[in-house]
Amino acid sequence: MDTSQLLKGVLDLAVLAVLRKEDGYGYDVLRRLRSGGLNDVGDASVYGTLRRLYNAGLLTSYVVPSEEGPHRKYYSINEPGRERLAESGKTWRSFASTLNGLLGEVA
Amino acid sequence: MNTQQSRLGAEHYLAGMRAALADLPASEVAEIMEDVEAHVTEVAAELGEDETLEQRLGTPEAYAQELRTAAGYPARTEVIAKPNKLPALSKPRIAAWLLGGATAFTLIAGTALLREAGVLLLPAAALAISYVLVREHGPEQRPMMQLPEVLKLGELLNQPAETPAGRAIAYLRSLQPAWWLLRTVLLVVAAVLLTSRDLFAFLIIAALAALAFYAGPKSKTDRRWLWITLPASALAAATILQMIDVAADSMNYGRASNSYPVQVTEQYENIYPFDSNGKLLEGVLLFDQDGNAINAQRDYPCPGTEPMIPNNKYPRPKIDRSTGECLTIPPSAAVPPSASSPPSVSGTPSSAPPTSGSSAPSSPPASASPSPSK
Repeated sequence: MDTSQLLKGVLDLAVLAVLRKEDGYGYDVLRRLRSGGLNDVGDASVYGTLRRLYNAGLLTSYVVPSEEGPHRKYYSINEPGRERLAESGKTWRSFASTLNGLLGEVA
Repeated sequence: MNTQQSRLGAEHYLAGMRAALADLPASEVAEIMEDVEAHVTEVAAELGEDETLEQRLGTPEAYAQELRTAAGYPARTEVIAKPNKLPALSKPRIAAWLLGGATAFTLIAGTALLREAGVLLLPAAALAISYVLVREHGPEQRPMMQLPEVLKLGELLNQPAETPAGRAIAYLRSLQPAWWLLRTVLLVVAAVLLTSRDLFAFLIIAALAALAFYAGPKSKTDRRWLWITLPASALAAATILQMIDVAADSMNYGRASNSYPVQVTEQYENIYPFDSNGKLLEGVLLFDQDGNAINAQRDYPCPGTEPMIPNNKYPRPKIDRSTGECLTIPPSAAVPPSASSPPSVSGTPSSAPPTSGSSAPSSPPASASPSPSK
């Protein structure tokens, strides 16, 4: 099964999750997702997701000047973002367990 | 892939993305580009030798499309002529053309630098105006870099590495630090050659040499240095051309004076023949071996003596400046002391070569056929 299709639905959740502990700039978030096992995640999808979450008021951003190259825009999760993470996390867990149950019957 | 190349590649890529996002609100595009610029720059720096940004990230259009979908933006709506929102005569465009024009002018006019340093005032003024027009855009000079003509130029200079042109450009780029050094040396040489003639020009060019040395590595990150480095390069190149010109001139001159000594005669202002007793001869007509009159350069003709005595009649009368009279003024210290020696070369016609029998035409006009021409 093509994981990229699955990913589309849960990328919000994944991005909020990796920002939960520590703020990060775009490439940073991308690296954390990849090192967390989401190898197929597309660069542009992550940046697009960050923008969408920001525009939805779930993230705030601030700019950190960089010595070399362009400055970096860090994203951090805010209170509405944490609420959404908790909510979506719950939904995901129940969804996953439901699906596991179905798969358990199949297998 | 070196940093210069990757930076240019990244810029090209980002320009493509901006075009693909051009229909979104400008503030949103700015926010996106802030993220993406850092990303693309970082990826570009990580690229391997033969990797391109397109291989890693897909085309700019595909990247933009994926980002739009993930961000929940509406699909691309065609915005007509959005990238051309700059009027034809915008400040960045005028600035860019002035900068280019001043550089070209410096290259051409700089070849006259050692003769007339003042020609450089024109490009200097153009550069000043150009810089003032775009000063507000900071180190990146983005509006200027995104002019279609500038992007086109960037494309030309950023050929794929596998083509011969790309290889040639990559090779030239590798020589860049050497050129920075050579440029400084050339400018210093030009400045030193000017010291005796034009102290002001010396100071300006010496300052330019120092600035250009400092600016070379800087201009990669801060485009404002281009206003120094481009004209400095042009001036240094012009200095090379001028040195070649001067060298060729002196070689030609050397050859000419060796093979045609008789031509040198024409540089004489006057000729003073003496007899073996050291007496100045007057009214002597000089001819060469072909019976042609030997004419010294004519200047300061005596008033009232026209129609003139034959051109080759020596010594020519000259105006005595103290009295205003037209006289034959003998060379003051040139009277030969003895019969055999030629007139001393330390006299008034000080540049005259010895006029001993061997170098003078052997036959006087009396034995030659021609009669003095009128």
